[in-house]
Amino acid sequence: MSAIATPARQTASRQNSGGLSTKTINRIVIYGLLALFALFYLMPLFVMLVTSFKTMDEIQNGNMLALPKAPTFDPWLKAWGETCVGLTCAGIKGYFWNSIKMVVPAVLISTMLGALNGYVLTKWRFRGATLVFGLMLFACFIPFQSVLLPMATILGSLGRFGVSLQNSVGTSFGLGNPTVNLVFVHVVYGIGFTTLFFRNYYEAFPNELIKAAQVDGASFFQIFRRIMLPNSMPIFVVTVIYQFTNIWNDFLFASAYAGTGDAMPMTVALNNVVNTSTGVVEYNVNMAAAMIAALPTLIVYVVAGRYFVRGLMAGAVKG
Amino acid sequence: MAFLEIDGLKKRFGNVDILKGIDVELEKGGFLVLVGPSGCGKSTLLNTIAGLEQITEGEIRVDGRAINDLHPSKRDIAMVFQSYALYPNMTVAGNISFGMEMRGVPADERQKAIDKVAKVLQIGHLLQRKPSQLSGGQRQRVAMGRALVRDPKLFLFDEPLSNLDAKLRVDMRIEIKRLHATTGTTIVYVTHDQIEAMTLATKIAVMRDGEVQQFGTPAEIYNNPTNLFVADFMGSPAMNLIPATIATSGNALSVVLQREAREPITLPMANAPAGLSAFQGKPIIFGVRPEALTDPEGAERNASNIATADLHIEVVEPAGSDTFAVTNLGGKGVVARLRADANIQPGTNTPLAFNLTKAVFFDPATENRIR
Repeated sequence: MSAIATPARQTASRQNSGGLSTKTINRIVIYGLLALFALFYLMPLFVMLVTSFKTMDEIQNGNMLALPKAPTFDPWLKAWGETCVGLTCAGIKGYFWNSIKMVVPAVLISTMLGALNGYVLTKWRFRGATLVFGLMLFACFIPFQSVLLPMATILGSLGRFGVSLQNSVGTSFGLGNPTVNLVFVHVVYGIGFTTLFFRNYYEAFPNELIKAAQVDGASFFQIFRRIMLPNSMPIFVVTVIYQFTNIWNDFLFASAYAGTGDAMPMTVALNNVVNTSTGVVEYNVNMAAAMIAALPTLIVYVVAGRYFVRGLMAGAVKG
Repeated sequence: MAFLEIDGLKKRFGNVDILKGIDVELEKGGFLVLVGPSGCGKSTLLNTIAGLEQITEGEIRVDGRAINDLHPSKRDIAMVFQSYALYPNMTVAGNISFGMEMRGVPADERQKAIDKVAKVLQIGHLLQRKPSQLSGGQRQRVAMGRALVRDPKLFLFDEPLSNLDAKLRVDMRIEIKRLHATTGTTIVYVTHDQIEAMTLATKIAVMRDGEVQQFGTPAEIYNNPTNLFVADFMGSPAMNLIPATIATSGNALSVVLQREAREPITLPMANAPAGLSAFQGKPIIFGVRPEALTDPEGAERNASNIATADLHIEVVEPAGSDTFAVTNLGGKGVVARLRADANIQPGTNTPLAFNLTKAVFFDPATENRIR
């Protein structure tokens, strides 16, 4: 009875809507809203970009949203090589490299440690493995602010130890160096997240592969290097993107532990560029500096983004 | 002294006994099949032989050497896993030679060994592919190749055919049997499929709840089951296990089977086992395999003790090679196996022949065989 009635009702409603079905209207509304949101989010980026290519005259006299009349690279060059960060006027390039020197080791070390932790927590389960994992997971919920002072104390002690090493052995092994300090802080803070990522990925990794490798005579680290790591590409990319973005964008730790001096990372330097008050505020240079500061994370997303989505889905659907 | 000896092996997880004292041995070049329902401990037993799980008590010896404390790689064994466990990031050649690589075998020797195995298994054209580019049967071959290339003392197979479709499974079964015959290797094989067990094994260990129920050749297991579980588990269609009573007629014993709505059948037992006389007037379980219950013309000619009885046929199942007829005895469905072209109609009363030489008896209280 109802099976006959339903198609009849559908035909009726289609005729009532007069050509434009509800489905089409829904689509228009959804895409319209999405376009609006996209516009809202892209607007600042657009303003930044066009401003960074304008001369100061054009900025002061023209419309903020207008395209540059005579596009110029000068603000970018100035931001990179000449602008004043605090009292030194040598551009942001040194600080850009500072950030790279901090981010690359921090990302690689924390990712590798996370992979190793995940491997041990899933494939070499020991008594209390779940508890250990729970505690590591807890690290993900500790707010940055609460770590600041204790960490400063620890870094201070490490620095003093570095000085005494320097006096006795002749080298401090990097202890007390602000970049090394930041790498240390980010590795410690990142391990909770990277372990979580890798543990969940390896949880679904077939145990029989490990058994087969054991029978084949592979050692603990051989199994890790030859079997686990080559099959971890998706989660590896996810972790690297996540860690890279977090560490590159970090301002709190950077300003607290390397807020002054030559080891200052990009984020702190950018803040100082914008806050330097000598004469006119050079908006174009500031915008260019901000773009340069944002570029690495953008590049990482573009290059590895498709793996990012794939990796996030990887654990969800089996097969 | 046997090649593989397992003595009083026990395995405990916490206070749960997984394996409760296993004693099994296998001669060199033998094919031991561990068979049983899920959770009977057969895979655990295999893993303990492989060294992937520690044992609580007992000893495992291969070629006279105790191996139970050695690392898996030091035991001179190779294993084929249920999921094949091929390394997805390596080519077929890489998979096959990984074990040799880990043992530091030089590259040219590895290549020779790969070529040899590839020839035996006919996977030469697949060597540069990744496992994801192979079909199920090809993966199975590669997994066997990885085991074969090592030339170990002992091969372990963990349900290797259970992921294949029915036809391929039969093909690979024959291939494994051929491989065993040509290479003369010693194999321990785990399966839950009793047909695989019967067809492949030189020795079968039927397991249940961490204990070996019966250990013997396939023929022994099939014809002389020691208890109800083995009788029921081995054979397809399963053995008919009919509740019955023992009566005396003259000085011979006879088996009384209840029929529906008719007088019971009495089958005279000329060669009854000695233990059966103690059960006069008591209930027993009468076991007869479907092929020992057939049409009188199809009955085995040289069997010494054949009794014929009229049975009411409820269902007839023509299976092509045989015809199965279902009747009811002692309140249970009983399957008879007839010739393919047997003229039999459901709903009729048809005379069927019991081959009583093949009949077995069980004590319903202990479930053990009455001998």
